[in-house]
Amino acid sequence: MPKKLAQILEEKGLSLNQEYGKRASNEVTDREIKRSPTPRGQNLKDLYLSTLSSTTVDFTYWYTRKWNELDGEVMVVRRATALKHAFSNLTPVIYPGELLVMAKERYYRGSFPMPWLSEGYFLAKTSDLYKAALDSGGASADEVSHFGSGGGNVTKSVGNVVSIAGKFGIRNTEISALSQLANEWVGRSVDDLGHKYERMVPEYPLKEQLMRSVICMFDSGYTLPQGREVSNYYFPLQYGIGGLIKMARERRGEVAGESGGDGLIGMDRLYYYEAAGLVLEGIQAWIRNYAKEAWRLAGCEKEPAQKREYEEIAECLEWISENPPRTFREAMQLTYAVHLAVINEDCISGYSIGRLGQILYPYYEQDLEAGRITREKVLELLECYRVKFTCIDSFASAGVVGGVLSGNTFNNLIIGGLNKKGESAANELEILILEASMNCVTSQPTISVLYDEKLPEGFLLKATECTKTGTGYPAWMNNRVGMEYLIKQFSQEGMTLEEARALAIGGCLETTPGCWHELTLNGRKYWIPGGCAQTAGSGVHFISNPKVLECVLFNGYDHRAKAQVFKPHNKNLETFEEVVEVWRDYYAQAVAVVNKCANIEHDIWRKHNMAVFNSVLKPDCLIKGQHVGNLGYRYNGTFIVESCGTANFINSLAAMKKVLYDDKKFTIEDLQKAVLDNFGFKTAEEVGSYSLAAQEKRSEKDDYDELYSALLMAPKYGNDDPYADDILKDYEEWFCDMATKYLSLYGLNLSASQISVSSHGPLGAVTLASPDGRLAGTTYADASMSAYPGTDRNGPYALFNSATCWNHSDSQNSQMNLKIHPSAIMGAEGVRKLLDLTRAYMRRGGFHIQYNIVDSQVLKLAQAKPEDYRDLLIRVAGFTQYWVEISKPIQDEVIARTEYEATA
Amino acid sequence: MATCTPLNCKHDDCIHLATIDVAKGICHLTKKTVLIDTPICPKFAPLKKCGNCKNFQKDKTDSNLGVCAAEKHLPWTYPDLIAQSCAMYQAG
Repeated sequence: MPKKLAQILEEKGLSLNQEYGKRASNEVTDREIKRSPTPRGQNLKDLYLSTLSSTTVDFTYWYTRKWNELDGEVMVVRRATALKHAFSNLTPVIYPGELLVMAKERYYRGSFPMPWLSEGYFLAKTSDLYKAALDSGGASADEVSHFGSGGGNVTKSVGNVVSIAGKFGIRNTEISALSQLANEWVGRSVDDLGHKYERMVPEYPLKEQLMRSVICMFDSGYTLPQGREVSNYYFPLQYGIGGLIKMARERRGEVAGESGGDGLIGMDRLYYYEAAGLVLEGIQAWIRNYAKEAWRLAGCEKEPAQKREYEEIAECLEWISENPPRTFREAMQLTYAVHLAVINEDCISGYSIGRLGQILYPYYEQDLEAGRITREKVLELLECYRVKFTCIDSFASAGVVGGVLSGNTFNNLIIGGLNKKGESAANELEILILEASMNCVTSQPTISVLYDEKLPEGFLLKATECTKTGTGYPAWMNNRVGMEYLIKQFSQEGMTLEEARALAIGGCLETTPGCWHELTLNGRKYWIPGGCAQTAGSGVHFISNPKVLECVLFNGYDHRAKAQVFKPHNKNLETFEEVVEVWRDYYAQAVAVVNKCANIEHDIWRKHNMAVFNSVLKPDCLIKGQHVGNLGYRYNGTFIVESCGTANFINSLAAMKKVLYDDKKFTIEDLQKAVLDNFGFKTAEEVGSYSLAAQEKRSEKDDYDELYSALLMAPKYGNDDPYADDILKDYEEWFCDMATKYLSLYGLNLSASQISVSSHGPLGAVTLASPDGRLAGTTYADASMSAYPGTDRNGPYALFNSATCWNHSDSQNSQMNLKIHPSAIMGAEGVRKLLDLTRAYMRRGGFHIQYNIVDSQVLKLAQAKPEDYRDLLIRVAGFTQYWVEISKPIQDEVIARTEYEATA
Repeated sequence: MATCTPLNCKHDDCIHLATIDVAKGICHLTKKTVLIDTPICPKFAPLKKCGNCKNFQKDKTDSNLGVCAAEKHLPWTYPDLIAQSCAMYQAG
């Protein structure tokens, strides 16, 4: 009977022991902190947990219909008019018990496709979708309510519901319209136009091969062209939507016919202000339609309390459709409406809320003083807020939504950090945000603490207590490291120390510039932060470090795809230095061509699908009179080169250096043969698990065992061992510098980004065995500074030392996940220990750390019986997601992560 | 789908339904969750949709498509499109 890897290693005196510290009890240990929301919060959360991810083509249709009528119109005006039409025709739906209302579409967890970005998937699947629509129509009503596992994912077509990409459900009566709409965008979408022109890049064949081999995870410009940025709510809060419309009309008149001294784009200001006014009118109409619906429901409602609630909702919406908000509730509703409007105008994931507690604090403070609100009511509203954000879905391409994002939308709420003057920015409202997040545990918004030594201890302990609940938030980011990065990268665009203090995190982990605005409320002034930069998560997405190394081993050839990816290097790889040199050359080739193609895609996007409403919100568009594509934002040097698989890559280099070049125990040819044969193991797909420990030998033969053992025993990253850590340092210095050699379409240099999100799953799936001992198809280590499961043997502080051997402020981010057994941090003392652990990493210069507080046994139980764990949340890499909605490779990877039963 | 009639209307053709997802919704009258594809009740009140508008012309080959005759250029549409905010809607 062929053995499992774990057994083989035990026999050799090695262990894939994925626990550090004292052995945990065999009894399953649950998370310690369990709190409950208010009854209203619980009802709304329960509604979400029973809701299916649903899509419709209503917005898509209205947008396309109006767009088609405006052939020949100035592009930004055409887009704004189409958006106005779509927003104005969205169907408002309000649910009993809601206090905060509105949604992307007419479902509780709704979304819609945007074929103007990419229509290819729908066309490719048209016949499948039609067949599903016809086949499933005869099922009974009962069957309709029982879908497969996967939480809210519609994993298969049933009844009158058709599954799209195993995630979204659509009514079968809309399939014809979906197909018609997709066809109308053929040749006109950002994808199609981008593809037409990127093929003019001489090196394009390499790019195509990189995508086929999945060395690069996905294209930037037509999948998620915006997002991984931070919102700015200042203008609607200060002026109201009516005030902004008036401003746009006035400015339109001032600039009409004037170049302003700019012969290139000065005249565009007229069209920008016209477009701004149009899209604002559409959003205003949308809010007013919700107000009308609330009045209608109030008119029909017999139950007095519910009737009054509908009336309050209507009054709130009517007011904010025109005026600046007066109260905390109005401000919260307006910011939510604004947020939805932005993520409806484009395909966006990772549109961060920013520092909500600091932005809404003026309203909170004054409402409390005036007796208009109580802390209990604020808590209830914050719970409603959490549920509404969790309802946000994003309809991007299947490979992006499932493969990279795990269905998450990354609405990041930031707390802590510094204010404009460099003092602690933490406040009482942020404490309530933490309380609500512990009471009403949902995946959104995720929370991030900008850790700074100036933050009060009580605040930090409260945030740590929240982390201890096990939801994975807040994650912790190093404020000073982030500020240092901003000054390095954005000084060329005028970044100052004062402005660097306004930093926030776009998406899950993209350090991004912010700015300060002075909000006036009832004569009192408050400096509030907000975003002012482009997407910080676009450019070159997820180049697979281990897969590029695989190409080095095989002279540029990908054995899985059976294709020559890179030109053969024809070197014998006789020295370690030669391996590194070829790897860097191949990597740079990949970055160069993907960057060129991404620039073209984004250029098409900014010409045909530019942000209009986001270009109203973000400074300095309203002042300059230019949208995002014309450098309207204050900071534009945000594009990145993103890596994946760092730990496996470093470990592979260390193993090769030790075994092949220092000890000279084996040759490169021995390694090549073994890798191709997966070291004698079955593939992950054959085994049905993507975790290393579960892998099985194909037979009793031990042809590669000695080589394999030597590779596994080689020094590994994460143990404070300079042998591996020096390789990491060398790599990081090269990677962070290399990224800056490339320019985005905006003429500004890229920077390095090192997060995995969920890409370590699909990228691992297409990679052969790697020299560090990872087997074919298994998931890479998550994040960038996380150790590969089972290889960090010297405790968390050793891991921290390894991770901080390089300067994290040279990169936009770094990412570290730790899994801690609940027993290691019990009680108040446990909170203190966890904070000390976080602080230790921050003080060593680590940029980011996040925690899973969970017993791995719980995860295994949840994998076996997902229906019993619908509301189990875990932290993947930068986001918290429902366990049942995560793919199996990622589930296996999270289970496999080293579990710390001690924090010292 | 043919134009909604009492014989073939669903709950998501009714103005009293707050659609939760593609399978179900909450009835504002009863406050209960209902499956969309179950028989409607006597309190059914039609939601404005293209399919029940006088200006809607059915497609000859695909019952899930049609044409909007309210506009001179006769844009295509689909019967399930909600027209609550459409200025040209006329009850059929």
